[in-house]
Parts: sequence; C-alpha cells; structure tokens
Amino acid sequence: MLRDILEKRKGKSKDVLSTAATVSAASGNEGKNIPEIPDNMWKKCNFCGKPILTEDVRKNLYRCPRCGGYFRVHAYRRVEILCDEGSFEEWDKDMPFVNPLDFPGYKAKTEATREKFKLNEAVISGLCRINGEAAVLCVCDGRFIMSSMGHNVGEKITRAIEKATEMRLPIVIYCCSGGARMQEGIISLMQMAKTAQAIKRHHDAGLLYISVLTNPTTGGVTASFAMLGDVILAEPKALIGFAGPRVIEQTIRQKLPEGFQKSEFLLKHGFVDAIVGREEQREVISRLIKMHDRDEIEKALKSFNAKKDVNEAERTADEAKPGAELTAWERVNLSRDPKRPTAKDYIDILFDDFTELHGDRCFGDDGAVIGGTAYFHGLPVTVIAQQKGKNTKDNILRNFGMPLPEGYRKALRLMKEAGDFGRPVICFIDTPGAYPGMESEERGQGEAIARCLYEMSGIKVPVLSIVIGEGGSGGALALAVSNEVWMLENAIYSILSPEGFASILYKDSKKAPEASEVMKITASDLKSLGVIEKIIREDEPASAKNIAELSKRMDEEIADFFGRYKDKSPEEMTAERYDRFRSF
Amino acid sequence: MFGKVLIANRGEIAVRIIRALREMGIRSVAVYSEADRDSLHTILADEAICIGPANSSESYLNMSAIISAAAAVKAEAIHPGFGFLSENAKFADLCRQCNIKFIGPSPEIIDKMGNKSEARNTMAAAGVPVIPGTKEALYDADKALLQAKNIGFPVIIKASAGGGGRGMRVAESEDGFKEAFNAAQLEAEKGFGDNSMYIEKYIKKPRHIEFQIMADSFGNVVHLGERDCSIQRRHQKVLEESPCDVISPELRERMGETAVKAAKAVGYENAGTIEFLLDEDKSFYFMEMNTRIQVEHPVTEFVSGVDLIKEQIRVAAGEKLSVKPEDIKIKGHAIECRINAENPAKNFRPCPGKITDIHLPGGNGVRIDSHIYSDYSVPPNYDSMLLKLIVYGKDRKEAIAKMRSALGELVIEGIDTNIDFEYDIINSKAFEDGDISTDFIPKYFPEYVKGAKNL
Repeated sequence: MLRDILEKRKGKSKDVLSTAATVSAASGNEGKNIPEIPDNMWKKCNFCGKPILTEDVRKNLYRCPRCGGYFRVHAYRRVEILCDEGSFEEWDKDMPFVNPLDFPGYKAKTEATREKFKLNEAVISGLCRINGEAAVLCVCDGRFIMSSMGHNVGEKITRAIEKATEMRLPIVIYCCSGGARMQEGIISLMQMAKTAQAIKRHHDAGLLYISVLTNPTTGGVTASFAMLGDVILAEPKALIGFAGPRVIEQTIRQKLPEGFQKSEFLLKHGFVDAIVGREEQREVISRLIKMHDRDEIEKALKSFNAKKDVNEAERTADEAKPGAELTAWERVNLSRDPKRPTAKDYIDILFDDFTELHGDRCFGDDGAVIGGTAYFHGLPVTVIAQQKGKNTKDNILRNFGMPLPEGYRKALRLMKEAGDFGRPVICFIDTPGAYPGMESEERGQGEAIARCLYEMSGIKVPVLSIVIGEGGSGGALALAVSNEVWMLENAIYSILSPEGFASILYKDSKKAPEASEVMKITASDLKSLGVIEKIIREDEPASAKNIAELSKRMDEEIADFFGRYKDKSPEEMTAERYDRFRSF
Repeated sequence: MFGKVLIANRGEIAVRIIRALREMGIRSVAVYSEADRDSLHTILADEAICIGPANSSESYLNMSAIISAAAAVKAEAIHPGFGFLSENAKFADLCRQCNIKFIGPSPEIIDKMGNKSEARNTMAAAGVPVIPGTKEALYDADKALLQAKNIGFPVIIKASAGGGGRGMRVAESEDGFKEAFNAAQLEAEKGFGDNSMYIEKYIKKPRHIEFQIMADSFGNVVHLGERDCSIQRRHQKVLEESPCDVISPELRERMGETAVKAAKAVGYENAGTIEFLLDEDKSFYFMEMNTRIQVEHPVTEFVSGVDLIKEQIRVAAGEKLSVKPEDIKIKGHAIECRINAENPAKNFRPCPGKITDIHLPGGNGVRIDSHIYSDYSVPPNYDSMLLKLIVYGKDRKEAIAKMRSALGELVIEGIDTNIDFEYDIINSKAFEDGDISTDFIPKYFPEYVKGAKNL
C-alpha cells in the first residue's frame, strides 16, 4: 500500500518527504502568529449540539442556524425584533425592590441579579409601535430568577394593562416564566388575581390582548395572564404548562411522552390560536392588532362601498336567471362530489390575509371547522367554515367535514370574539352533519350545537351564512343562525340526509333518491319556503374550472350584503335575526 | 514566512499545495473527511486531521471544524484551494478574527466580487468594459426596441427570472425583434410567472478568455497572460490553453492592462482571475472575477514560469511579488486536459470506484497534477476530477502533438473516465484549426451533448 511505503520513507529520512527538518529553521517566526479563536465566537446549540456562530444566531433571530431550535431572547433584544426602531418607550424602569415576607437573602440575590443582567426586574413594559401600530408591550426575561412572578412583575404588568385600558390601546405580553416567585410566597400568588382582573377590565373596554407564549411558560403565569389573551400565540416547541413536567412525572410516576406540553401539543388541544415563527411575529401581531381595532372596523363597515365596480342591473338580472334543470337527487350527488370546491378554495379567492385561529380553549382543535380573521375588500371580517378534505389523508384530518363538539366550540369562540370587536361574520357551510361518534357524545355535541344557536342569535354584528355543499341538519344550522342564509344552486340543506330520511320513513335507505324529491332540500325549494334568501347560480356545477367565476358572483353578492347592513344598529341586526327565525 | 499552513481542501489541489509548502520548508497540515482517510493529501501532509463525515457540508465546508483544527495545530495560515470555502467571505472573515491568515483576498473583496451585479458595477465604474445591456426590467416590446437600438444588434432577450434557455431569444436585427421579445416574454410568464425582461448585446461565437493576475499587499499587480477556456460542456471547462492564438501581443497588452486596472480598482490582493468574453471582432467584456486559485493555473505556470501557489503563499505572508511586470515573458504554449471519473456515453455520469491500474505519461514538458494512485478508491462524495494532464511545447502545434501523445499513453483502469472524449477533441481538425468558441462542443461533438438542456 502506498500509505505504508510513504510512511516508512517519512520515518527513515526526515527530509525526503517531511518538512520537519526545515521547520526548526523557520520556527524563529513561530509565536508571532498564533491562531486564537475569540471567546464567544462559537456556541454549541443546546438542541442539536452542533457548533454555531454567535453572529449567525443573532442574525437568525436567536435561533440555531442549523436545526432551527429557538433560544431564549433577552427582553430588550425581543423589543428590537418586534418593535419599530426606536419606538419603545419604557415604563416603570426603576421600580424599587420589595421583600413582602422579609425573606432572608432575597434582597442580596435580587441586587446581584439586577447588577449581572442590568435589568430591574423579570419583565419590562412600555409603549411601542409594531409595524406602525401603537401598542402597550410587556416582555418577560427568563434570566431574572427564571422570570418568576413576584410583586414587581405583577405590578409592572398590571400597571401596563391599566394604562393600556386608559389609553385605549391593545396590549401584547411576551410570556416566559417558571411560575411564582417563591421568596414572595402568598403575595406572589395574589399577582395572578391582580393581573387577571386587570385584563378583564381591559377586555370589557373592547380592547385586544395578545399573549405570546415563549419557552418556558409555566405555573402561576400560565394560570393567569398568559392564558387570557383574546388571541394566544406561541413560539414553536415552547414548553407551556401549569405543572412542570418533572412535578407531573414524580406525581404520576410515569414518563411523559415526547412533545408533551409543547406548543404543538397545546395547539392540538385547543389552547393556542397559532404557532408563529419569530420571523413572522411582527407581521402577524400587527395584522391582528388591525383586525381588532373596533373603531377602525366600524369606520370600514360604515364607509364600505358596495358598488365598487358592479353593474347593479347586471347583478340583479344575473340573479333572476333560471338555473339548470336537475333532479333533487342529482343535486344531492353534486353537493357531495369530492371534486366540488371546499370552503378554503372560496376563502382564498374571496378574502385577503386570512389568518387562521385555532382551538376551542377547552379540549381540542377540530379540523372540520376552520376560522379566522381576513379582509373582504379592506373590511375586517371573521370567516368560519366547515372544511372537507381533498383526499383521504386530508379527509382524515378534516374528519370528512363532520365537526366534533370542539369544532362548534371553536366556531362559537370566534363568533363571540368577532361580536366583541365589531367584526362581521361570514360562515361557509359544507357538512354531511355533526360527527356522530362516542367522543362527540362524551363531550356534549348537543350542548355545543345548542350553544351556537343560542349565542349566535345575540351577536351584535352582521352575520351571513352560505351553504356551499351539504347543509346537513343541526350540524349545519349551528353556523346558520344568521341575518341571511344563501345557497349555491347545487347545494342542499336538510333536516337529515335523504338516506336517513328514507330509512326512517320508508324503512329502506336505498329509497334516498325518491326521498330527496319530497324533502324540499334544493336551493330553489328552500327559497320558496323562505328558509334562504338567495341562490348563487352555478352555470355549470361548481368545480376548480369555474370557481373564479362563481367566486366573482359571490363577491358581488357579499359586497351587496354589507351595503345593505352597514348602517344597521346592533339592535336592529339582532332583532332582524330574531324575527327571521321567529317566523318559522 | 509561515511555519505551518493548513490546507482546507482535498484532491489534486491539496496535493499541489502540500508539495509547494514542502519545497518552501513550511509544514503542511491536511484536513480530511472520513471518506478521505486514504486520499493522497492525507498521506502526504506532515500532519492530518479528520474534520468530519464524508458529506462535505459536515467536513470540507465545516468552518468550525476547520478553524478549530487550525487553532489546535497552531497553523498560521489556511490555503483554501478552489471550490469548498475558497470564495466564502464569511470563512475568510472568521480566519481573520482568529488571527489566521486566509491565503486569498480580503473577505470584503470576496463578498464584492461574489455579487454579480455589484462586481459588474464596480468594474464598469473602473472603466472596464462590460456587456452593454439594460439596467431596469422591461415589459413592453416597443420600449424594449428603443433600448435594443441603443445597445446595437444583435441582442439577446432574457427573462429576469430566467434560466435554462427558457424565455430567451436572439434578435439579429430590428426586424422580428418585437415578435422575439413577445415570444420570450410569454415563455417567461408561463415558465416563471414573471414577465420582466432585460436585453444584452449578443456576442456571437464568443471565446471565454481569462487573465491571471497576482497582487501583493503593497499594491503591486501583475498579469500573467491569458487562458482560453472556451471549450466547455454545460459551462464546465474541459480543456484550457495558454496563450490564446487569436490574441495578438497588442491585444494581450490591452486586456492585461484592463485586468490589472480592474484588480487595482478593488484593491485586490493575492491570486485572482478576470474573466472576459472575447467577441469575434476582438472587443472584450468583463464577465466576472474569481477570487481564488483556479483549476487551470498550471498552463499559466508553464508559459510564464511563475509558481502561482508559492507566489500566493509568499504574498499572504506579507512579502512583495517576486516578479515585476517587465520580467514576465509569455513563452511557448501550454494545454491542460481535465480527466474526470465520468462516463461520456451515459451523459457524463460520475463513476466513482476503485482504480485497479494506472499508467501516467511523462517526458519533457509533460506535467501531471493528481491525487490518484493504483488501488485508490474514488469516493462518490466529491467532484469527479481525477487528474490534470498539462503539456508544454514551443508553440501550439508542438503542444497539441505532445498532448496527443500523452493522452494516448494515459491509462486509468477500473473506473470510467473521459480520456477518450479529451482524445477526440485534441485530435479534431476544428481544434487544430483553432475554430474555437464557447459552442465548440455542441457544434463539433453534438453526440456528447445529447440530453443536455443548457446548450
């Protein structure tokens, strides 16, 4: 082998293949240029273990450039990432130390921490602008006694909330905490109530609170201000929980599964509206602030220009055109056609900046119901829809468009939230029915639907529902206690499926085609019955090919709807809704 | 002078640098990946340090591992070779922060020249001719025609988002320009969803001519003549020669001076290459600057008599250039063939594997730069270049004869190589006649470009 031969040669004579002999001559220069890696040039990522350049970490918003892991961010760096440059005006920068229990050694520890990190407390608060939007901001800093909440943390946050209420501004809180400040004992516990009640007042004043959960958010902070956001966002893979994982493991004597209490776990369990990466937070938060500005929304609605480029005569004539000659059963089949566009297809065309918000804040996030805020020609609206899948995998995620109770509870939460902030609501209905499964009954499917009907009747904004495919029974009605209900020409809306109807009345589900003819479930039948107000004509059955044309028609009609409702008072809107259903 | 230099590369260039260091009495430190334990550079260096797994992103591109290795062995400088980290401004910057001399230009210059439009603007500002073209996006055929007239026909219409020949048209004259523009724009719209276009002067049958320059830290810059690298397959150089037989001494003087001016304009230091496109009418335009030593540097070494690697090391150590402009005489003719482990019959698919037998040609004026040996296994993880065969003769004719002879003798068994392809080129009448431009291979060897989309 070449290696062996050459190695031997190197050993024999130092100057044949080695420069060792000559190095001593050159070594006079050695020591002049000793390479030295500066301290802190490299860090080791505590997620992937790889070496990473400190500078790259900073440029990458304090995330590992290799594995994408999220590092904790110092409070003032957070302000730099989020706020418009130079806009942050800090409040209560020098709150004096308090030691309510006269806890020995606490003062010294606090002073040392203050000195070490040049921070007064575990939270900073102040006024800022985020993409031009004014907001009050609090940011917790995990370096300061694990950002635990004692009197001063609670006080700074409470003062910030109160000031936001007074100034009629939204508040954004970046949460991070190990929990209560042990050294302050029961006084620390009281901070939970103190902050929570301040948020209640802020909310009752019609103002927005966005809570951003970062790694880790635990204990008393989770059980108070962190979980009270009108919108709750989380950074990816953050630990979020009430009891810490170690406490849980010790109590139940079991190992916790991978991903337990992480942001993604909370999203799945319905407690987080969205997981937002650090690079998008400024954009998402500023957009949410705009979407929750009551006064601006009211202005946008009042000044909504319904007739932008619509030829009114054409629109009305268009509406009056007769539809296709199809049997009810044919329409049933069309309404269920897997190639029929789903809610998301219409949402993408009709609205801008759809920001999906997840979860029922109770049990889970149902894939069969989607919802969020969006713009309709510049007007902020809340969009809620039943979503079917496009393929088997997607359909499993969407549960074939059959919502679980958590789906209705999500819809309800978003509708109430829309009502609170004066944002009109548009619902898209497309469901075979509410999911009839064991878990549905365990979690109160009936209660969830009933609650939708109950609350929807009182929402003080215009509500419009459009049946785009199947309108299956109570599962559909839960999103249709609206000022107006419209249907696509080939959609159906019924007390139950023709198959179910046939098996009850004719004892034979195969007689569904006949049943469909007598059930009065087509758009034109329902219009004659006064159950719906409008039919959106389908020249050809809705498909990917004609969705643009169909959406344009829908767009004009929705614009016309807002034109008709923009000047109505909340009382008029709820009264009309009451009368609409009172008449049946 | 340095006492110890680390080579952040592999293959023949690492071997080339180790040999130069050895001759200069400087200790060499090789870094190698797990796949290169038995590679020649690992064996030949005075010290060798494993820096990671086979995948180059974990080894030869792993900046922290390389810098740590340099610090551990107290290497005063790093030679980056070509490829890998050689034109990585960040790596050069890290070296500087760690008090390690990066053998190459400053990170600022690497960065500047690495950005095509900034390089172009810098050069244009320094009075170096650049290909005339539009600066702003064009959308309208009528407006584009006005611009095209300004530039002068023929012009090439290109999609801003383009690539692979799509959304590209040549317009010979005003007639048919608008049609060509609209057709290209439609293609761009369809292909890239972007209909913004730009126009450049179209160079017919251009030659790829590059000038080697060398600069020290005292502001001295010399050029060492040109290399003709027109013979390319899918933008990969196949064969290079120096000098270029259509460049007269006067033109060489003019182009060389331009290259020196360009280098001085950016305050260049160390070895660099200025690439030009040479038009049939002998006008030349700046294309880009390479801020590293190049694969084909040996042809320049043959005709100029300057050892470029040693010069790089000397200049990096703060010494003055060993040659003055007036000392440099381009003499004779050199040709280089790149021998790769690839199968020309299978669309030049790389062919790693074990070399079972090897015979290398030799004799007066024959040079081989390679890292392969009998029983060596070519790993699949890296560039497929095995060997550079360089010949030197008193003129082009003699060099061609020498290359024919040497290629005829070269034997590499066990894996597929492109030796026959190179042999066909060197034996072709077109090459002998010097009918050379960047479309040489598609024009004369169309059978070798089947399935090639970029030509």
